[in-house]
Amino acid sequence: MDFPISGVTINPFFLIGIGFVVGLLGGFFGVGGGFLAGPLMFWSGVPMNFVVGTDLAHMTGKSIVAAKRHRTLGHVDVRLGIVMTLGTLIGVEIGARIIEALKAAGNIDHVIGITYIVILLAISGFTAWESISALRLSHHQTADEARKDVVAFGRLTQVVQSIHLWPMIAFPGSGIEAISLWVVVGIGLLTGILAGSLGVGGGFLRMPLLIYVIGVPTHVAVGTDLFEIMFSAGYGTLTHAVKGNVDILMALVMHTGAALGAQIGAMSTRYFAGPRIRLLFSLLPLIGAILVLVRLLGVDMPAF
Amino acid sequence: MNPKTRRLLIRNFLLELLVYAVLLTVYFLLALRFLGEPLSKLFHLNPIVYAGASLVLIVVQGVALEWITSFLIVRLGLERLE
Repeated sequence: MDFPISGVTINPFFLIGIGFVVGLLGGFFGVGGGFLAGPLMFWSGVPMNFVVGTDLAHMTGKSIVAAKRHRTLGHVDVRLGIVMTLGTLIGVEIGARIIEALKAAGNIDHVIGITYIVILLAISGFTAWESISALRLSHHQTADEARKDVVAFGRLTQVVQSIHLWPMIAFPGSGIEAISLWVVVGIGLLTGILAGSLGVGGGFLRMPLLIYVIGVPTHVAVGTDLFEIMFSAGYGTLTHAVKGNVDILMALVMHTGAALGAQIGAMSTRYFAGPRIRLLFSLLPLIGAILVLVRLLGVDMPAF
Repeated sequence: MNPKTRRLLIRNFLLELLVYAVLLTVYFLLALRFLGEPLSKLFHLNPIVYAGASLVLIVVQGVALEWITSFLIVRLGLERLE
């Protein structure tokens, strides 16, 4: 099928397939899936500028569908999402400017790539270790206790929630009675800077931080992360479309698969306890790290 | 929830997905058929309007089609999984 806007000829079923897989992952884990969709689109022959913009466009639609479904399941803390979005949007802008400054200073692709791999492996290793510990803990608990979201690494959350820096804010949707507003905005800012400087949406950075630092239950972290991606990806779509980086026809084809995958992924979270979701989640950054490594090594992939 | 009810609700969810999938496919085929050329022109002539149109199209595909699906599911008398 010809896509006149980007001038690319590509099999639509391949695009629907990519959309479905990233939609499924997004709905289940609360991530945008750009780390997976981006390389696959690039390898199938889509120019890099259209990869970034078109991926963001389909991500906007998919995150709306998944967040809406999570909201009906009671998994979205709207207040937390809005507060974090403020920090994230500022952070993404700072991150993008940092990267521009570094680019002007010289070739930094390898530095960014290696930093990215280290961060991804650290997240993957930590989340896997913590979720396995939490699963072991939940074996020793009563049925009522096990139904709650068991986290084996709660010390950081306790320290963060004990910071009484005015103004304090409650997030009843996440079961948080009081936390400093600056902590939440700061975490949004941090993930925004990392996401902006690494050139990714940041879902797999934000999800663990929501759980381990702020103390949000896993299911709510998934839904709230998607709620936040709606705004960040929507903003990204607009800015990239103005710059000529969005092939909306291609995005609509991808979104056909993504919207279905997102519905299934979001609904599936009902049948998994928090630690199991986190254990499966720990594989995602690992896949992301392998894809970045493959790109850094310059391995050619077959075109579709 | 007993297994029988769960099976029924999962069946309803799959039916809902099927209706949604048909609507999504019809939407993108119609968009490609009738909006392909106008959008391509808009992309080159007016990027700001193109950006707005892009966002509207993708949001409509996700949200409006889900509303229509929900409406149809209610009309069919199917109980939802939530």
